Amino acid sequence: MSTQILIPFFITAVFLVAAGITLAYMLSPKSFNLQKQEPYECGIPTVGVTWLQFNVGYYTFALLFLIFDVETVFLFPWAVVMKQIGLVGLVEILIFFFILVLGLAYAWKKHALVWQ
Amino acid sequence: MLLQYLSLMRQEVSLIFIAVLVLICELTVNQRYKKVVIPITLVLFGVHTILGFVPFDGGKLFGGMFATSHAQALMKSVLNVGVFIILLQSVAWLKKEVNFQKSNEFLILLFSTLTGMYFMISSGDFLMFYIGLEIASIPMAMLAAFDTFRSKSSEAGIKFLLNSALSSGILLFGISLFYAISGTIYFDDLPLYFSPVSPLFALGFIFFISGLAFKMSLVPFHLWTADVYEGSPTIVTSYFSVISKGAAAFITSILLFKVFFNQLYLWKDIIYLLSVLTMTVGNLFALRQTNIKRFLAFSSISQAGFILLGLVNVDSLGVTAIIYFILIYILSNLSAFGVVMAIANVTGKEEIKDYNGLYKTNPLLSLTMMLAMFSLAGIPPTAGFFSKFFLFTDAAKGGYYWLVFIAVLNTIISLYYYLLVVKAMFISPNEQPIERFRSDIYTRTALLITVVGIFAVGIYSPIFEYIRNIIDKF
Repeated sequence: MSTQILIPFFITAVFLVAAGITLAYMLSPKSFNLQKQEPYECGIPTVGVTWLQFNVGYYTFALLFLIFDVETVFLFPWAVVMKQIGLVGLVEILIFFFILVLGLAYAWKKHALVWQ
Repeated sequence: MLLQYLSLMRQEVSLIFIAVLVLICELTVNQRYKKVVIPITLVLFGVHTILGFVPFDGGKLFGGMFATSHAQALMKSVLNVGVFIILLQSVAWLKKEVNFQKSNEFLILLFSTLTGMYFMISSGDFLMFYIGLEIASIPMAMLAAFDTFRSKSSEAGIKFLLNSALSSGILLFGISLFYAISGTIYFDDLPLYFSPVSPLFALGFIFFISGLAFKMSLVPFHLWTADVYEGSPTIVTSYFSVISKGAAAFITSILLFKVFFNQLYLWKDIIYLLSVLTMTVGNLFALRQTNIKRFLAFSSISQAGFILLGLVNVDSLGVTAIIYFILIYILSNLSAFGVVMAIANVTGKEEIKDYNGLYKTNPLLSLTMMLAMFSLAGIPPTAGFFSKFFLFTDAAKGGYYWLVFIAVLNTIISLYYYLLVVKAMFISPNEQPIERFRSDIYTRTALLITVVGIFAVGIYSPIFEYIRNIIDKF
């Protein structure tokens, strides 16, 4: 029944992918030079090794920034309909704020805001 | 308005309240009084669990995004029972030096995943379903990587995160195809748009069920399970294997029951195949395991195959049998994990051969483990027999005799490896068995609850009738 209708789907899917790869392999012009081996970095030759270790502190900062960035995005829709939803909306946004502030306080207490 | 919100979402609200309370405690409570937080959380969660059983009318919120009913509240309560036992079992582990610093974080993460599962179970459209799924799975990856000093634990976390991201992608693709057919994502409207034969629907359904199968670790999609289960801390492994699997099974049964019921001809074959594969392959892999955590992981894969037996025949008896099976599975598996954890906490031993001669030194623990194994295998006086019996009855009622036959064969195979553990404890000789020890009051309470449950839930039939009555009204 309808499971049999799926067979052309799968054949087409496999065929399309295979055809794409094979055609690209056969038709594409091939040229090799040393620059192609290098990692892409704004077109400028790279300085030093690319396998650097970053300070993990960057990630915590980026994450914290992201959280509060997203929070502002959530505030906008609320601000647009603030008058219509009234008190309920205000209480809800305050609860939302409260939990977020707790998150910030948690990060503060765990010394995530100190640059080490 | 606000009161209506609170009354319909009371389980979610009270759980979030407990989680926030733990977070506030973490921020304000002095290091000296930190010990008090765990017992207070336990008491609060116990009250939350008991209140969850109070019946209430269902309803819809947020324009149909959030739908709840007595049946869904019951599913959440079943999960609550499991989480309460896990909390009891985790106390001894949390009080260790390395974990005590972050014991509150463990509780918060545990409650966050449970909140996600709540929203998943009460979702009224695919958006809420997906949000719930992600709320449940991201903290779960953090829980898997909770032992930061152990590289295997981090590996488990990364593996879980990558796998859940992949499966979410597949699942979302399936949902997008449903949206392409119907132009809606609400569960109530969707069935109207699914015409009898629609290849696009079939394609979407295959993607969707594959994504869910990843979460439930059904067989062609189970490869992440053993590594994640072995790497995670034991308490998290038990959480994965009972609560997360139970929630995934609940949401699958709700979706098949509510949204895809008129496409039965299509998905009954898929579920049939998945069920047979999961039972058989899970069993065959479990036969060869020597690590007890990996062994329980594969045995839980094969148990998931049995859960699917209740889905091939979509009726209220099937859903009832699934809820009943999961309740008993939670009790028996947590009983087994409780013993594993009690031993691992004291000695750090996790191989099956370490259990040789355990009966001589720790008779009570051995008896508990034996009961758990019997219940998982489905031997009559224990509850595991009745739960499997109802699932088989339901599948047989739908005329799936071959499926029942395969399931019975698998039960016999599983009996072999469950009894291997029992043999190790009672018969195999050992010069240096695990020393005699006494676990703390929380672990003993948890094991007592599971043992009583294993006997009582099976023999006391009103529990099955109670679930059945609620599901019939669903």
